[in-house]
Amino acid sequence: MLTYQDVGLSAYEEQEIMRLLGRRPNELELGLFGALWSEHCSYKSSKNLLAQLPHQGRFVVQGPGGNAGVVQLSADWDVAFKIESHNHPSFVEPLQGAATGVGGILRDIVAMGARPIAIADILKFGTNEKAPALLHGVVEGIGAYGNAIGIPNVTGSLGFSAVYDANPLVNVLAVGIRRHGLHVGADGARPGSVLILIGQGTGRDGIHGASLLASHDFGAETEEMRPTVQVGDPFMGKLLMEATLAIVDKGLSDAVQDLGAAGLTSSTAELAYASSVGLEIDVSQVICREANMSPYEVMLSETQERMLLSVPKHNLAAVLEILAWYELPYAQIGQVMAGDFLRVVAGDQVLAELPTSVLVGGCPRVPVKHGKRMGSIDQSGAVETGNLELAWGYQVLGHADCRDRASVYQRYDSMIGIRTVWGPEHDVAVMHLENGSPGICIAVAAPARWAEIDSYSGGIGAVAAALSLVATQGAVPLGLTDGINAGNPEKPEAYDKMAALIQGIGKAAEIFEVPVTGGNVSLHNETEGRAIWPTAAIGVVARHPSPEHPMADTPPYAGARVLILNPPTKPDLGGSVLAEILGRSASYPTLDVDAIQHSVHFLAEIVPQAEHVGLLACRAVGVGGLFVTVAKSLIDKNPMALGAHLNLAQDVDARFVFNEMAGQWVLFVDPKISPFWDHVSETHGVSVIDIGSVTDSPELVLTGGRTLTWPLIDLKRAYRKGGVRDVR
Amino acid sequence: MVLDYRLRSLPVLDRVILPGGFSYGDYLRSGALAAAAPIMDAVEKAAADGMPVLGICNGFQILCERGLLPGALLPNPGGEFICQWQTVRVASESPLFTGLDQGRVLRLPIAHHEGSYRVTQGQLAELFERGQVFLQYSDPEGQLHGLANPNGSVANIAGVKNHNVVGLMPHPERAMAPYLGSRDGADFLASWLGMGETVVC
Repeated sequence: MLTYQDVGLSAYEEQEIMRLLGRRPNELELGLFGALWSEHCSYKSSKNLLAQLPHQGRFVVQGPGGNAGVVQLSADWDVAFKIESHNHPSFVEPLQGAATGVGGILRDIVAMGARPIAIADILKFGTNEKAPALLHGVVEGIGAYGNAIGIPNVTGSLGFSAVYDANPLVNVLAVGIRRHGLHVGADGARPGSVLILIGQGTGRDGIHGASLLASHDFGAETEEMRPTVQVGDPFMGKLLMEATLAIVDKGLSDAVQDLGAAGLTSSTAELAYASSVGLEIDVSQVICREANMSPYEVMLSETQERMLLSVPKHNLAAVLEILAWYELPYAQIGQVMAGDFLRVVAGDQVLAELPTSVLVGGCPRVPVKHGKRMGSIDQSGAVETGNLELAWGYQVLGHADCRDRASVYQRYDSMIGIRTVWGPEHDVAVMHLENGSPGICIAVAAPARWAEIDSYSGGIGAVAAALSLVATQGAVPLGLTDGINAGNPEKPEAYDKMAALIQGIGKAAEIFEVPVTGGNVSLHNETEGRAIWPTAAIGVVARHPSPEHPMADTPPYAGARVLILNPPTKPDLGGSVLAEILGRSASYPTLDVDAIQHSVHFLAEIVPQAEHVGLLACRAVGVGGLFVTVAKSLIDKNPMALGAHLNLAQDVDARFVFNEMAGQWVLFVDPKISPFWDHVSETHGVSVIDIGSVTDSPELVLTGGRTLTWPLIDLKRAYRKGGVRDVR
Repeated sequence: MVLDYRLRSLPVLDRVILPGGFSYGDYLRSGALAAAAPIMDAVEKAAADGMPVLGICNGFQILCERGLLPGALLPNPGGEFICQWQTVRVASESPLFTGLDQGRVLRLPIAHHEGSYRVTQGQLAELFERGQVFLQYSDPEGQLHGLANPNGSVANIAGVKNHNVVGLMPHPERAMAPYLGSRDGADFLASWLGMGETVVC
């Protein structure tokens, strides 16, 4: 006899089920509850927190709740985008775990009727001996699935810390486009329509993946869960994508839902709930890959490459014709009716019947706990350093978090689809759609170190960092997606950090006036009591005014002036790479969000007229601070072997050079157009300081009391090869 | 026009391109399954009758698997996918590519897992003697050396031809405009189409 523990529910939840149903559920029904009331499917710990995020904005077409958020890019095009995580499976089986994670998020985009055009990966790995093999497998898996079905990897973020040793993070942002005005989703099913399950035959793979693997901490028994990781079939995924898009383009389906976590159970229940209809599905009609599968197994299988379509009867013949053309397996598995139920039958035998208002809507949510916001006060004080040492420059630039990413991104196809104007060799991606159309600017940020001590400020910083990136292009941010990764929410400390992180994201989204249109929460990233840093992976999509002419990120000639837009008034090393190298732990500094917002608006105004004001190149200060930002500007695409000479105030201040406070930019400007920049503080109310100039000597020089010189060739070596930790 | 792989005969055509992509998910070996697709019988027949056939990346792999071009494409030496910009040098002129002079250097992207071109023992000299070596990986100045070879291809070979059948690993269709990083691909395809270099994209 199956018990509530077997399906991952608590005693309280079992009581709630009996109270709401007025009876004891049978075994199959209990299994359905186990899946849908799991953390993975119900978001029970985070839903009330996520509800506080701003979801509305003038570009929002579809907010959270669907398979992906949708924003309006132009009169012709909408953009569907979302971050998903596949952390646990990728640790258990890196290649297939990552591959199926990509497959899943791409199906989410397709289920919104959008054609995926770009992938970005946000990865965190440990520092132990297992990490390189995990990274290698994950990169292989992401490329082998996404690229193989025609989607390029255009940008990403990669970071390392020992806290991810046993809990690496694999978050993937997918971006798709659809014609403006096309409405596709899970919420349109109408009574009388037929349910068609298309794609891969259902097997025994991944049963309980959502309820057990993804909703509990790792421990010794995790090894036994290897069979709960699914195996991807990208060719089937390609056929499924093309067939689904062909069907929705012709308006032949009234609702679409992909099959992800908890398979048929969640897809049918969520489609019924979203559409306010009843569904009857006949498990005996489902095409199975294996013999003698029980109804329980059929309902809970997480076999990949499956999609559920609701098709009005008069469109059935046309849909079947498309499916036949793509040689895609399909079965009619049920029908849409009026009512509030999910009924599972096998022939004429009723196996389960549950109200979806209880099955989907009834899961008890964890109420928001107030009053314990982490890190609202500066607990640890600023990091103090002595005199800046030459070695720090090489150590920071050669740190695993700052180093050249070519060894990763060259293993991805970044150009397939021929829309990539700027790919992963830049800090932001720029995608071209069609002549005369605005482009899409995509950026991700996942500054994990920031949020450990002060999760609230870390949440604000993560959003500010992502928006700072698209601001370099003068692009208009349309929406945000957040991938929240945290530890076990049943532990107060982990819960509080997650709550503060989400509240910080919400605060920033509100002030920057960019809505969060969807995302993902991955909890229980914890092994044997050790949790990861609370990590927000933020993705932003923005409207690029001139995708054929991105704003440059490298200075074109010697003599160009180097300016900083919005330098921090009190630079602070909290959360920085240098602080980690020096072994100093401090909370992420509080940002002046209004000043950042003002600077973002300034860039939006200035970048499109860059030529008139002599703006030559622009880069957001990121990981590694000003030093790494300037160094990368000199290393990247620099056949001229330019250098830079920066004049700082008295005593070269490490806090100024290495702080990672989001919302500051390095600008390279034409020295001949000086008056504009000399008076920009008065005319535009932004803070801009002149810190030096580009030189024709291949070295980075800092002066201020004394002079420090880093030859470019040594910087390149540190950036490309790393391995300079020992230099002291 | 796009042709369905199930066709057993070709409509009236001037030329055929087997484009890049990951046909059949690259299962078994890149191009191995597509080489046995029904339409390939018709392509083979048309090629034998002199129709120009151009295979790009996966299309090149398919043509080699089918035996329409000499040699084979093995996994890259590191066993990893490679996507990067590359320069290639035109090794020999062809009447199929008007205006594409020997020694010309083109900047084109490569993106493949199995692009290491190999031939059987003794076959290499034959390829050169017959002028079948079409493109070679080079540095931007057109020099051929090991550092300019991204994938261990023998003699830096990036493309070969067999009369009217031509295959290459780089992707000219991804280099069609300056904003994509290069427009050398537009020149290359215009040359194959016999349009000189007048195509405006």
